[in-house]
Amino acid sequence: MNGIEEKLVASLSGVAREGALRAGRGLSGLMGEEITIHVPSVRFGTRADACDAVGGAEVIVLGAYLTITGDITGHVMLLFPVEKALQCVDLMCGQAPGTTTEPDELAESAVGELGNIVGSAFVNALADHLNLILHPSPPTVVNDMAIALVQAVHAEVMAQGGEVVMIDTVFEDKGGHASGLLVVAPDPMALPRLREIAA
Amino acid sequence: MTAPAADLRRISVGIGQLAVSKDSREVLIAYGLGSCIGVSAHDPGTGVCAMVHILLPASEGKVPQPNEPARFADSGVDALLKQMIAAGASRSRLVLKLAGGAAVLGPGNAEKFKIGERNADAIKERLKLHGLRAAREDLGGTRGRTLELQVASGKTFVRTAASPAIEL
Repeated sequence: MNGIEEKLVASLSGVAREGALRAGRGLSGLMGEEITIHVPSVRFGTRADACDAVGGAEVIVLGAYLTITGDITGHVMLLFPVEKALQCVDLMCGQAPGTTTEPDELAESAVGELGNIVGSAFVNALADHLNLILHPSPPTVVNDMAIALVQAVHAEVMAQGGEVVMIDTVFEDKGGHASGLLVVAPDPMALPRLREIAA
Repeated sequence: MTAPAADLRRISVGIGQLAVSKDSREVLIAYGLGSCIGVSAHDPGTGVCAMVHILLPASEGKVPQPNEPARFADSGVDALLKQMIAAGASRSRLVLKLAGGAAVLGPGNAEKFKIGERNADAIKERLKLHGLRAAREDLGGTRGRTLELQVASGKTFVRTAASPAIEL
């Protein structure tokens, strides 16, 4: 990693920390329990190991995918192990724990809203700190193998002919169980602007 | 003789990677193919097997990194064939199978780059250039897939988040 990239990573790490705090607050409020936030990692390259936070690459996750538009563009994805996602749905819908047993229409709608709140909190923190106008898109609910989803975001960024910078933030519940993984990846065209801000 | 399942060694073929094996105790696996495509190759004559995990359609002149020889469809297919032949396989006997190329981020989001679809087209085009075509394929849709090639039998299996392994 060269000097400019080191500066970019250092700058994004600080911003990501604030974004993660806001997203974590949103998640804690929705779930009715305290959520611990792991300091986000900002790294260049493939993020296959990020999937460990939700139980491994091939584990099935439920979550939401949003795109960022505005001064810069990029991708945001919030992933939960399915069991945890269904617990969130019961909490959000005021239902007894264990009521939701599979990702049905109501569950998908609730998870989409969760992605919207947590993803938007993160994106808004980025916008505030970097003095950029950013708009999160409406969420698309995703339900698949974790690595297939992370890899698809990686490919979207790589297809534009640039390097992948992914910010991954892990949320843990008070029992120390991973309750979610938030992945944020700016598009390559956003990097010169981010480097400029970081310089 | 096929090794018992417990003795099998699972060789994970990560993004952009290429694996070749003649060891009947090994299983080559590309986990969680989203828009990526896994290409499996088997020579029934020599038992040589290989797999690549392709991320993007075209290298556009970029030289693949040594640790990711199969990042791109064009150079990845070339590398697969070169390694198979170097390991003793015969091009004319190769049984090739493809899996992946899905739009896992939702059909609406796939419109932007259509990476899965373009990966599939690019791989088929490159195979055609070599006078080859896939014997079987499981491509497209919206679900991620895991592709597995059992070296002992040369059999290929695909599974998704929603379905158990089925032979391709």
